[in-house]
Amino acid sequence: MTVGPSAFMALAALLFCIGLFGALSKKSAVMVLMCLELMTNGVNLNLVAISRFVTPESLAGQFTAAFIMVVAAAEIGLGLALVLALYRRTRTIELDRLDELKG
Amino acid sequence: MSYVVLIPLLPALAFAVMVVMSNRIRNSALWVSIGAMAGSLALSLYAFTRVWPGGEEPVWSSTFALADIGGKPLEIGMRLDGISAIMLLVVTIVGLCVQVYSLGYMHKDRRKGWYFAVLSLFSAAMLMLVLAGDFLLLYMSWEIMGLCSFLLIGFWHEQAGPRAAAIKAFLTTRVGDVGFAIGLAVMWATAHTFSIHEVSVFEWARYPAAALAVALLLFFGAMGKSAQVPLHVWLPDAMAGPTPASALIHAATMVAAGVYLVIRAMPIFEEASAAGLHTVMIIGVTTALVGGLLAVVQYDIKKILAYSTISQLGFMFVALGTGNTVAALFHLVTHAFFKSLLFLGAGVIIHATHTQDIREMGGLRKAMPWTTGVFTVGALALAGLPGLSGFFSKDEILVSILHVEGDLYSMGVRWLLIGLMLFAAGLTAFYMTRLWIRVFGDNACSLAHEGHLNMLVPMVVLASITVVIGWTQPVFMQFLGEHGAWPDPLMAGLSVAVFAVGVGGGYLIYGRQLLDRDKLRGRFYRLYGALKNGFYFDWTYNGFIVRPFFIVAEWLSTFDAQRIDGAVNGVASGWSRLSDTMWVGDVKIIDGAVNGLGRLVTRSGARMRKLQGGRVQSYQRLAYAGLIAILVVIALAAWLTNVVVPMLRGA
Repeated sequence: MTVGPSAFMALAALLFCIGLFGALSKKSAVMVLMCLELMTNGVNLNLVAISRFVTPESLAGQFTAAFIMVVAAAEIGLGLALVLALYRRTRTIELDRLDELKG
Repeated sequence: MSYVVLIPLLPALAFAVMVVMSNRIRNSALWVSIGAMAGSLALSLYAFTRVWPGGEEPVWSSTFALADIGGKPLEIGMRLDGISAIMLLVVTIVGLCVQVYSLGYMHKDRRKGWYFAVLSLFSAAMLMLVLAGDFLLLYMSWEIMGLCSFLLIGFWHEQAGPRAAAIKAFLTTRVGDVGFAIGLAVMWATAHTFSIHEVSVFEWARYPAAALAVALLLFFGAMGKSAQVPLHVWLPDAMAGPTPASALIHAATMVAAGVYLVIRAMPIFEEASAAGLHTVMIIGVTTALVGGLLAVVQYDIKKILAYSTISQLGFMFVALGTGNTVAALFHLVTHAFFKSLLFLGAGVIIHATHTQDIREMGGLRKAMPWTTGVFTVGALALAGLPGLSGFFSKDEILVSILHVEGDLYSMGVRWLLIGLMLFAAGLTAFYMTRLWIRVFGDNACSLAHEGHLNMLVPMVVLASITVVIGWTQPVFMQFLGEHGAWPDPLMAGLSVAVFAVGVGGGYLIYGRQLLDRDKLRGRFYRLYGALKNGFYFDWTYNGFIVRPFFIVAEWLSTFDAQRIDGAVNGVASGWSRLSDTMWVGDVKIIDGAVNGLGRLVTRSGARMRKLQGGRVQSYQRLAYAGLIAILVVIALAAWLTNVVVPMLRGA
């Protein structure tokens, strides 16, 4: 049995959905950041898989995934710094409590 | 400004000064009024010397343009001529005597200051009237005098009698004044002038209807003011006022203003058809007889004199009816002096006896010798004793009837008129005898006392004039541009006879009591009743004018209260109800809509607010929901275009 592109895409969709669910439902900001990473990884997996199966001669998908990982690393660094700053200010990282912008 | 202007101006200023004072100060400032009057008298004497030796032309005149009506100047003016000069002297002399007399008569009254102020205003108006150079100014003065008459008749307005008398006098004379006013309008419409001089030279003969209308309307005004039948009813009631005021206004001056008016308007009468002067004659004779007859049955001393005044005014109008203005004016002058003297005497008597009823008086000649003396002079002058003024002036009137010309006046008519006038003159002698015997003659004991000196002096002055003035008859007539003449022997003889009969009859009936008066009254009860009721003039007016007026007024009042007020109130309550409805509509619909909109916004705002929870995850959720919705729409569109539409096309 060969592993076709749909298997990769199903896994990627699963990863994305798990990440999305976590991002929408987790209380902790850190957990939300992690879930965002998960979603990014789902996208990355799609990029790599589609690139491998659709245009095997080009590495554009792989490079894009590498770029996204770098950007995500930077993003997560910034995000964690924000969470730390937030924690210093409010002694909490629970997103439900951080509703100062409530209208 | 000529000194002539000052003659009416001085009393007018006195009034203006006194009217602004407080009552207390005014009561002690009576000399203002008297001083002004004395000043007017002095100026009038000077004016008289300027006019001397008389003539018809005015020695001074002045006009003042009020306005311009249709290109014709409307002017008022003053003029001084022989008639004015004589009237000035009469008014100022009698006026001053009355004012000095009033010092004593009114000294206890708490509103005497106001009384003097009104007397001043009256004098000013009367002096203005006799100096008026045109009928318009004359009319203005005329109306001011009417006002003063009203104020003085109703001077004791705390009592119902004077109040009613004042209203009656005012309204009755007003009836005449309306005629006067319409007459002035016709005069303007015809001649385009009010000036006495221009009216006298206007060719009235070219407008016979207008001339007769003006003459009769002016005469109608004169009838009201001079108390001629049938407008005489106010004068007896006017005696409710203070006696000196009656002497001045309702005996000597104001009531003579009607005579004066006709004298001034005589050129119109002469040019108009003879009907004008015939009317004057008929009214005059009727009035002379009615006044004389009614005076016989009165018991109120002032009412006797009032009816006597009416009768004597009738004499003056008879003179005017013959066209003889000089005789009328002469009788006016003599009458002014002796009648004011009689009124002042009556005032002293009333003051002393505290009654006006001659039945309660008697024997006053011992207690009041001076008053008796001067009153007797006045009474004899009125009755026509040869040598006193009334004799001369009445004789002049009888002579003018004898010589009157006209189609109507045949010898028989003339002698009928003379007979009627002699009868009226006899009545005068008769009722004055009755009055004298009742007041002075009987021997009833009386505690009366003589009047105060400042009441006696004016009376003595007036009595002296009464004695003297008759003898000036030729001079008087020359002064006015007529041929002077002494009394006609025939008429003088008849007058003396009538005088003797009147006085003798009075003496026999009231002095000697030869006739039983109760029996006489019983036999002539119909005549007596008619006389007692003043020939039912008041009764007629009450029945046919006053009462219907009240009925209509009451009906109108009811109509007003029920219909008009009802309609107004109905409209108001309708509006009120409509407003209530509108209010409900306003609250429910307009406010409801506004509030509803507000509430909708508030509520939807409250709902929307929950979306802005401030939680980042809820925003995220919405964002994804939106994304999904967009994807669904795109997918749906793609499905429709790519699947459904080709399927339909294919089908």
